[in-house]
Amino acid sequence: MRPAALLRLALAGTRTDSVRVLLTALSAALATLAALAALTVLAIPKPAGDAWAQSEQYRNALLREPGLRGGTAFALLLLCVPVLALAGQCARLGAPARDRRLAALRLAGATPGQVTRLAMLETGVASLLGTLAALAGYLGGRELFDRPDARGQLALPTDVLPSPWSMAAVVLGLPLVAALATAVMLRRVTTSPLGVTRKANRERGPRPWAGVLIGIGVLAFAVGGSIIRYDRSPDGPPVGTLLALLAGGGLTAMIGVVTGTGWISHTTGRLLRRHARRPAALLAAGRLTADPWAGSRTFAALLAALIFGAGAAALRANFALQDQLTREQNRLVGVDEGSDPFYLATMDLVDLAVAVAVAIAATGLLVAVVEGIVARRRAYAALVATGVPRGTLARSIAWQSLLPAIPSILLALAVGTFLSRGLFGEVNQSGTAHEVCDASAALCGDPATRPQYTRIVTSPGVSRAPEVPWEQLALLGAGALAAVLVTVGVGLLFLRASTAVEELRTA
Amino acid sequence: MAGVSTPHVLLGLLATGSKHGYELKRAHDERLPRARPLAFGQVYATLGRLHRDGLVATAGHDRDGGPERTAFALTGDGRAALDRWLSTIEPPMPYVTSTLFAKVVVALLVADVDRARSYLIEQRRAHTARLRELTAVKTDPSASLDDLLAADFAVAHLDADLRWLHTTLDRVADWHREVHS
Amino acid sequence: MTQLQARGVVKAYGRTPALRGVTLDVAEGEIVAVTGPSGCGKSTLLHCMAGILRPDAGEVTWRDQRIDLLSEGARSRLRRTEFGVLFQFGQLVAELTAAENVALPLLLAGTGRREARTAALNWLEWLGVADVADTRPGEMSGGQQQRCATARALVTEPRVLFADEPTGALDTLTGEQVLTTLVRLAREQRTSIVLVTHEPRIAAYADREVVLRDGKIDQTGLGLDVSLAGGQR
Repeated sequence: MRPAALLRLALAGTRTDSVRVLLTALSAALATLAALAALTVLAIPKPAGDAWAQSEQYRNALLREPGLRGGTAFALLLLCVPVLALAGQCARLGAPARDRRLAALRLAGATPGQVTRLAMLETGVASLLGTLAALAGYLGGRELFDRPDARGQLALPTDVLPSPWSMAAVVLGLPLVAALATAVMLRRVTTSPLGVTRKANRERGPRPWAGVLIGIGVLAFAVGGSIIRYDRSPDGPPVGTLLALLAGGGLTAMIGVVTGTGWISHTTGRLLRRHARRPAALLAAGRLTADPWAGSRTFAALLAALIFGAGAAALRANFALQDQLTREQNRLVGVDEGSDPFYLATMDLVDLAVAVAVAIAATGLLVAVVEGIVARRRAYAALVATGVPRGTLARSIAWQSLLPAIPSILLALAVGTFLSRGLFGEVNQSGTAHEVCDASAALCGDPATRPQYTRIVTSPGVSRAPEVPWEQLALLGAGALAAVLVTVGVGLLFLRASTAVEELRTA
Repeated sequence: MAGVSTPHVLLGLLATGSKHGYELKRAHDERLPRARPLAFGQVYATLGRLHRDGLVATAGHDRDGGPERTAFALTGDGRAALDRWLSTIEPPMPYVTSTLFAKVVVALLVADVDRARSYLIEQRRAHTARLRELTAVKTDPSASLDDLLAADFAVAHLDADLRWLHTTLDRVADWHREVHS
Repeated sequence: MTQLQARGVVKAYGRTPALRGVTLDVAEGEIVAVTGPSGCGKSTLLHCMAGILRPDAGEVTWRDQRIDLLSEGARSRLRRTEFGVLFQFGQLVAELTAAENVALPLLLAGTGRREARTAALNWLEWLGVADVADTRPGEMSGGQQQRCATARALVTEPRVLFADEPTGALDTLTGEQVLTTLVRLAREQRTSIVLVTHEPRIAAYADREVVLRDGKIDQTGLGLDVSLAGGQR
């Protein structure tokens, strides 16, 4: 096929397709910005001095202290994961119509390879536009925000540039990964030129590969965690390996959760069909078993954000415990020190990250609502036309969305907690020995009287596992469920308008 | 509608057992409900002709006497005539009238499965061949408007005949399934 | 001379059998009608013979080449060179114009845009729908859409044309035009045509008729079975 023809076919599309391209580009841009930010933070050079020397050129403690800096970089990198989930969700917007078009092309004689290339082109180019825009924004922002304040300190690390190779890897690698993911997801469509007119219902449903993926992700995080904890090398832990482990592990676990919802939806559908008696529930059961991936498509971003949120909650529990242990130890020694500002700053970082994750989740839900209105029109209009009362249809939609949402939310929270636990493990407080003065400072200071009035207080090393932050997890779960309810509710509001019989006109 | 085939229809009705004249009329109207109801006079006139030709015989008198009470039965010749009638297909030229209807009904009534089968297969084949001929006339580039109008008329009727035939067989099969299940 | 052969083709959708062993030969320039009640498997047979579906068992041979053994890509290529397909609906791409739709098989095969468009316009004119060449299918009538679909099936000058209820959505005269075109094709270009229909009037355009019932060929043509015993009403 000549390139001109390829281009023409790739550009053929409706408004929905344009929206999809736009959203894909936007989410690719967001992911690129997060990745570039992480790379920038990592590129801040170690200042002269020992392992704890601070980079004085920055105002923000997050960038100054080497310990916090690593955390900042990793947090930014991990944020890419929910953004990628959002990107995946956007890429499926209007997918049914697009798949129908591809099936028509196959009927006209397009080979599976040609059709795959077409879809890869759309996703790849959209992502590339997004990453290039993000790069431009990043470089522009560097110039714009490079404003040292009165003390010559910078708010953002605008004096550092990551290596060109790493930047190229992100800007070019992301579209490549997106294109490959499209190719994989299209496998079912490309094999059948008859589209979805006649297809034997897969009685088995999705297999539980998701469990394996989740397991791999958790394992990667655990390995990463042990590398950090048991690292003895003078330069610090190997950044590249850690990057790969954590980013890869996070991504794998997220894919596992999102695909796990497919299995959950299908099983929920099967159980519902066995025990349901009313028509609304039966309708929902049918749709769940026929299309178990609908839920994962619409709530991918929300679930990814939940994983992130649960991980952050576990991290906060970890730090709270650390803080408590330190304080206990200090009290034993007679010093009543408040919590180390290190932990406070980290808490802030964690809160910021969670806020961003919530924003991502909200965007994902918005996209889900839009898709529900745009894509399901035909199916619902057909049902209403055959006599299903709108009330029954509304109830079935509610069942269909909420019932598998509960176990999926629980799964996401659990996975997030496990990931965090694997990474940060138990809180270790090494034993310390303190010299305590029982009398006045003068007596203690005098070397003659010192041994008489001072004593060494040792506190043993303590290792405790932080508690599971049940309240926060419950809060997250309830919030997510409420968000799902709102999404379903808004979609139902539009139901009346979108099931008018005119929607049945086929092109 | 009760035209050319009335004698054969009566023969067919008698094939299931001897009947009085009155019973024959009732059976005829029952089996061919949309036809004009057979007048008694016509029944007896036809029976008379059949009797004269040796195709039916009287099967006994009721004590009360009178022609309505006379029972008639098929003779050997009558049965042969019926068979002959059922073996000949109705030439579909240009379309077939109620004769097709009567013949199919009687064919399904008569207890000879193979006879009925072969008749129906042959009739369908004749219809299909004629349809093909007429369609060839239509697709001939030298066909005149008159040719087309005539061909369309014939095609429409033959098509209707065939569809009715298929539907009838489906209905009978369904009915059988219900009754015998 | 037989061009296309199906031998003992078996196909099932999940647990539902559609074809139970069908054998059919199609000669060059022959029009074969495949008829039967709904659900008898005629569309499935057409899909298997055109290489759109792979049969579960049996063979489909085209000029001594087993097409049921070919890869998905090779069978797709066949559809845009030697075979043409014409369905009742759903085959035009809604987002492309009529001319682009008709030119599609040529574009997919690597022909240049201008050349493909010329060929498309020629066929659209031959079928009398040249005036809608630059409109989208959604803006055309059913009859125009079907004629565009026919043009697309013919633009590659196929050796075999597979038509599945091609006149189902059309009125009598428009349908007649499409069918007369197909007959011309068979007579003049020696194209073989496999025509699936459930109407006797449409099947009459063929040289011969094959009746399917419950996935097998029915020799009687009527689906007669033993329950035909009379006299029980």
